[in-house]
Amino acid sequence: MTEIPLQHILFLSTALFFIGVYGFFTRKNMITMLMSVELILNSVNINFIAFNKYLFADKLDGIFFTIFIIVIAAAEAAVAIAIIINLYRSHKSIDVDETNEMKY
Amino acid sequence: MKAIIILSALGLATMFVGVYNFKKALLPMILLGLLAVIGINTMEWNTNIHYYNDMLYFDNWAVSFTNLILAVSILVFLLSGQYFKKNTDHLEDNYSIIIFTIIGAILMVSYSNLAMLFIGIETLSISLYILAGSKKTSLASNEASLKYFLMGSFATGFLLFGIVLLYGASGTFHLHGIKDYVIENHASLPTIFYVGILLMMVGLAFKISIVPFHFWTADVYEGSPTLITAFMATVVKIAGFAAFLRLFFTCFSSITEHFVPILCILAVLTMFLGNITAVYQNNFKRMLAFSSISHAGYMLLAIIALKESSFIAILLYTAAYSVATITAFAVLLMIKAAHQENDSIDTFNGLAKRSPFMAFTLTIAMLSLAGIPITGGFFAKYYLFANTISAGYTWLVVLAVFNSAIGVYYYFKVIIAAYFKEGSEEKLSIFPAYQLVLIITAIATLLLGILPGLITEMM
Amino acid sequence: MIQNAWLIPLLPLIGFLILGLGNKFLTKSLSGIIASGTVLGSFIIAVTIFLGFLSGENKATTINLFDWINSGTLHISFSFLIDQLSMLMVLIITGVGFLIHVYSIGYMSHDEGFTRFFAYLNLFVFSMLLLVLGSNYVIMFIGWEGVGLCSYLLIGFWFKNQDYNDAAKKAFIMNRIGDLGFLLGIFLIYMTFGSVNYAEVFEGAKGFASGDSVLVVITLLLFIGAMGKSAQIPLYTWLPDAMAGPTPVSALIHAATMVTAGIYMIARSNVLYTLAPITQTIVLFVGLFTAFVAATIGLFQNDIKKVLAYSTVSQLGYMFVALGVGGYSSAMFHLTTHAFFKALLFLGAGSVIHAMSGEQDIRKMGGLKKYLPITYITFLLGTLAISGVPPFAGFFSKDEILALTIGPFSNIIFIVLSFTSVLTAIYMFRVFFLTFHSTFRGTEEQKHHLHESPATITIPLVILAILSTVGGFLGMPRIMSEHHFLSQYLAPIFEFSDLKSEAKAPSEFAEYTIIIVAVVVLALIVLWAMNRYIKKASVPPADDKQTPALRNLIYNKYYIDELYDAIIVAPINWFGKQFNNIIEIQMIDGFVNSIGKTVIWGGKTLRLVQTGAIGFYIFVMVAGIIAILLYNFIR
Repeated sequence: MTEIPLQHILFLSTALFFIGVYGFFTRKNMITMLMSVELILNSVNINFIAFNKYLFADKLDGIFFTIFIIVIAAAEAAVAIAIIINLYRSHKSIDVDETNEMKY
Repeated sequence: MKAIIILSALGLATMFVGVYNFKKALLPMILLGLLAVIGINTMEWNTNIHYYNDMLYFDNWAVSFTNLILAVSILVFLLSGQYFKKNTDHLEDNYSIIIFTIIGAILMVSYSNLAMLFIGIETLSISLYILAGSKKTSLASNEASLKYFLMGSFATGFLLFGIVLLYGASGTFHLHGIKDYVIENHASLPTIFYVGILLMMVGLAFKISIVPFHFWTADVYEGSPTLITAFMATVVKIAGFAAFLRLFFTCFSSITEHFVPILCILAVLTMFLGNITAVYQNNFKRMLAFSSISHAGYMLLAIIALKESSFIAILLYTAAYSVATITAFAVLLMIKAAHQENDSIDTFNGLAKRSPFMAFTLTIAMLSLAGIPITGGFFAKYYLFANTISAGYTWLVVLAVFNSAIGVYYYFKVIIAAYFKEGSEEKLSIFPAYQLVLIITAIATLLLGILPGLITEMM
Repeated sequence: MIQNAWLIPLLPLIGFLILGLGNKFLTKSLSGIIASGTVLGSFIIAVTIFLGFLSGENKATTINLFDWINSGTLHISFSFLIDQLSMLMVLIITGVGFLIHVYSIGYMSHDEGFTRFFAYLNLFVFSMLLLVLGSNYVIMFIGWEGVGLCSYLLIGFWFKNQDYNDAAKKAFIMNRIGDLGFLLGIFLIYMTFGSVNYAEVFEGAKGFASGDSVLVVITLLLFIGAMGKSAQIPLYTWLPDAMAGPTPVSALIHAATMVTAGIYMIARSNVLYTLAPITQTIVLFVGLFTAFVAATIGLFQNDIKKVLAYSTVSQLGYMFVALGVGGYSSAMFHLTTHAFFKALLFLGAGSVIHAMSGEQDIRKMGGLKKYLPITYITFLLGTLAISGVPPFAGFFSKDEILALTIGPFSNIIFIVLSFTSVLTAIYMFRVFFLTFHSTFRGTEEQKHHLHESPATITIPLVILAILSTVGGFLGMPRIMSEHHFLSQYLAPIFEFSDLKSEAKAPSEFAEYTIIIVAVVVLALIVLWAMNRYIKKASVPPADDKQTPALRNLIYNKYYIDELYDAIIVAPINWFGKQFNNIIEIQMIDGFVNSIGKTVIWGGKTLRLVQTGAIGFYIFVMVAGIIAILLYNFIR
């Protein structure tokens, strides 16, 4: 059985990245936007592991970086949820378009 | 390096001391701790140690930027005592998060591995998302926090994608590894490497609010609690620029043709947009936000020049800028403490009569930000521009000088308000800690202008 | 002694610090003494050094205080250059400055901000000394900005209203345009010569060919700075507006010292200018045009200080003309005498305003001769000096410049400049006669208050009057004396330029002609003005009344006089009004205001981009990233 070529995985991760960007763009729900950010981070993770396995298999640099990203993404998500809940308390809404108190 | 360990311990200790109701002891402990850290950090001068398999590298630049960050933080902490007096509910949390932010900033100025850069940026940013929203009942504060978070995490995505592309091409995260890779494959660098550079540039440009990634700045500065804004406007700028310069100077200084043209365009856009938008701002915090954008534009010239002396330029500039900005925020906090008013520039009306001392220090700060001799701001600008000219970008300096002329207009608006406009006649008393901060910053501003040799000859 | 020259700027700085910090504790008399005492101290030191230069004992020396910056390729030392030129300026600044300080003790005695005022004055003197003593362009720039700042603070000393704000804003924008040019010039100098030190820059410049384009650009940029600070067209309209400040300020800053900084800068950079003939021509014509336009506008002002302000602009134009034809020492000569008589005139005007309880309109004065005898006599001497009546100071310096202009550009410069000098005499005697002669036209209450000013005011007037009378003997024309003191004293500074430019000495015939014609014309003007303003007691109409010029002409029996009015005065009047309306108000103010308006409009518009909506922010961010990537691929 032939191995899946690197290009395919890169294609997957790039697609995931842009799906994340697209979601971030089009969604107004804060939770969905948070999910889109997670998609972006995960596409990076896939990239890291793919590069590590296919190109630099002698060291585990990329894989360790992935662990850093996962940990920090978790922390980020926790903070994000806290912010969103706090905002929901005062705004009664989690639509980003309604947070435009400060402008000009 | 020892600075990071001690600060982490200090941050944890702060959390626990708070739990056991020693709130009075908190601030003195932190201030002493920070002073001690400056001392210990200074001992690493000229040692050039690589820590943890070359994850961190404390060269003289790292040491001096760390000291600058710590010194500015001490000023912020001096202001914080009075600021948190009314609301001591989560005092220890606020303090420890500020300390963790400082750790993130120190990582950003001393990294020699992209993983450390990433961790530093995230430690700094996540702490700041929380601090921006730390006034839980205020709608503006919540909104600032959300905006900062959403845009910040989005920018982080690009930064990470940049790192992964660099890794894919070079197979290493070490700055020196990447540098060697660039030198070896100078002629045939793959496209993903270039795209990686550009994406990293975008991620870092967001942190230092370069146009068009600057939109968060004004809203977040306005919405955040004023003390946090002062912290954000200074420490984040220092760390962001040091990180930016460290990466690009170490790794990419031999292939400048691929990103410098873009940086030039961004610098011009940033200077013009920052200055012109600041002219019409009536909210002092927003005005300072746009002024910070314009200063980022000037500082970008140092990265465009990309020389060894760019470090001095950035060090001097961030020092002068931070000290002046802290003064401005200290005066604003002091006026707001006296009577609950908005952040409008009109609150400075008649300040010269109410408190000549504060008006005087505010004037020095504004002159420094505007780049008028003999303040630090003038000298830093002069050094920065001369450095850029000797790298051959005269046209950029012409535009920058033109822009600094626009800048004078809105800084003087504050001075005019303080001296020539009628306002409330009521005398302003000033807290001792604030007085100390204002004296320190005024002296530092003048000293940086008169004897900048103290810094430049040390380097 | 020369090694102690750093004390000269230090003393006023100490004075400023004492007054600034001890604002609350000092009594008025003490702060007045401290402020004047420090300036007097500097003056005494300056005199000893000056005498050393005269005896040939002192040579041009650089005093290095400390290395300001020393890193990589950038070396700037904080050092002073003590030479003939800088010491001449120091003498003027501290000497005239001291007199004005003494004057201010009397003039400002009723003001609540007395100590603050003297603190600013001392800071100004310090900055101005820094400007002239610095041994490189960066220190000059520091002083340059410092005097600008002090002038800003002092103009606004009394005025908190919108008018002042508008005037200050205008002054500010114009000076910024000038500073911009100066700063860019400094950067270009640094780029071209690798240094900003005078000595190294001038040494390097001597290697360039005459007319080299780099030198032309540098000198033009520096000249833009000079135009802003020394109020030349098109950047001059701020100076008349700056008269809103207290009168001693107008005398010190806007007549004797700060506005001459541009002249000093060009004289200092004479090597560069001599090597850039194109710039010299531009300097020449800007100066000429300014001298003429400002003099015609001056004919029409009814505010005593405004007349003097336009006269200052015009006289500065004279100095630029001298610089433009390469007569650097003549420009410095006129600068010196002008500092004497213009300070005298301003202080005299201040004394009048003081007596009139703040009234500045000459139409409401008149007949003050008997109430203010000392002011009257000193003001007369000042008027004679500025009009160029021999043997007063202005005569020698002005005729030296006139003599230099014979020849180049087929005498057109000489003709315009001579005509301007006639106009100068007309507007000065107009002011003089309207103020002091004829009968009093003010209110009864003002009349009741009329009194001669106290000794602190009159003594400086007398000293300055003496200087204005004898100051001209610093430089006698060749026909009268072999020894031109000032040009010999300054010779080492302008050595290179004097060598380069062909012999500038005018013929003896020309000098005689100028002197004789000047005397005759002046006598005619004085007679005419006496006739018009004393005998006929003609008073300029109030602002809202139209002059029925034609009716006057027909019905008036002094028809020769009126004919003269129609043929000569009316066209000049017309010119004056046109210059005032079209050039000043519409073109220059319009231009400056439109710069300000554009920036403010830009701010108003651009801030709307900040919509507050995250979606939009992210859209712009991504668009930016795409643009960056696209740019990279297309390239």
